[in-house]
Amino acid sequence: MIRRHFRRPDHSVPELNMASLPDLIFTVLFFFMIVTHMRDVEKRVNYQVPAGTEVEKAQHKSAVIHIYIGKPTDASSQAKPATASASDEYCIQLNNELATVDDIARFVEAERKRMSAEDQERMTVSIDADRDVPMSVVNDVKQALRKSYALNVSYAASELRKKQ
Amino acid sequence: MRLFRHRRRGEVPSLNTSSTADISFMLLIFFLVTSSMDAGKGLKRQLPPPPQDQEQVADILESDIMTIELDADNRLTLKSTDGKSGEEVSLEQVQKQVREFAAVNPKHRVVALKIDPQAKYDAYFQLQNALVAAYRPLKCPPRVSELIEESGEKEDMSKKKGGQP
Repeated sequence: MIRRHFRRPDHSVPELNMASLPDLIFTVLFFFMIVTHMRDVEKRVNYQVPAGTEVEKAQHKSAVIHIYIGKPTDASSQAKPATASASDEYCIQLNNELATVDDIARFVEAERKRMSAEDQERMTVSIDADRDVPMSVVNDVKQALRKSYALNVSYAASELRKKQ
Repeated sequence: MRLFRHRRRGEVPSLNTSSTADISFMLLIFFLVTSSMDAGKGLKRQLPPPPQDQEQVADILESDIMTIELDADNRLTLKSTDGKSGEEVSLEQVQKQVREFAAVNPKHRVVALKIDPQAKYDAYFQLQNALVAAYRPLKCPPRVSELIEESGEKEDMSKKKGGQP
């Protein structure tokens, strides 16, 4: 009896139970799987979007189609379509390839067919254009979008904090 | 003798799960690398429908139009009918003036933009941003008409942009 109470303490460190670690990591994994989306297009043009104070988040990712306008990256400059226009420097990218303004109508039609009925109604075209693109290029794109009745546009931009 | 030893009856062998954490870590890192967090932000605007054959020309009083010009050097010029015309303005001034102008009757007053095709997209975007900011407290979408000057000849870009009366 006496011996038991005055036993010398055990100096070994107790082992940590790691059984719940996979569960924890799986939770983090699922979080990232839900909040992120895959990069589905390879950027073939370089662009830097402008920054504004009034930008909003895109509501429905599945209803957004992207049109990129920028300078072609070096690797893809050979694949540039042979079009002679004043603003040759800047290219339009639809999906994974460089395109011209005339391809936009077909592109919008194809994307529209791919979407569900409710997505078609709220379809938004995100214009991801470089800051230095001349307005003539952007205007051509906008006119093409008007003709295909893709009237919701969103000028892609980064968010600036509002000055108080 | 040991070779033929039988496991004790009724005991299920436990699975070694120590590598599950490693596997899920690898998945986690894969998703971190391949995915992008930025949920495409942008300035939302509405384009007008394409021009019809028989266009209805809306009668708008000249005093209800404010013209903002963006020239090839990305300068903004304000042309209002209330005496002040042809002055070069900054973005802040545009926002202030448009708000004052539109606050009177946001459903009827129209902001007309004249954009030079050589103007930079950034300048145009900042202008649109200022317009949206100016109309924000009015709780009404901006009524904007756009005109792009295409190599000398003028082309009517739109009747109303974003404005549902």
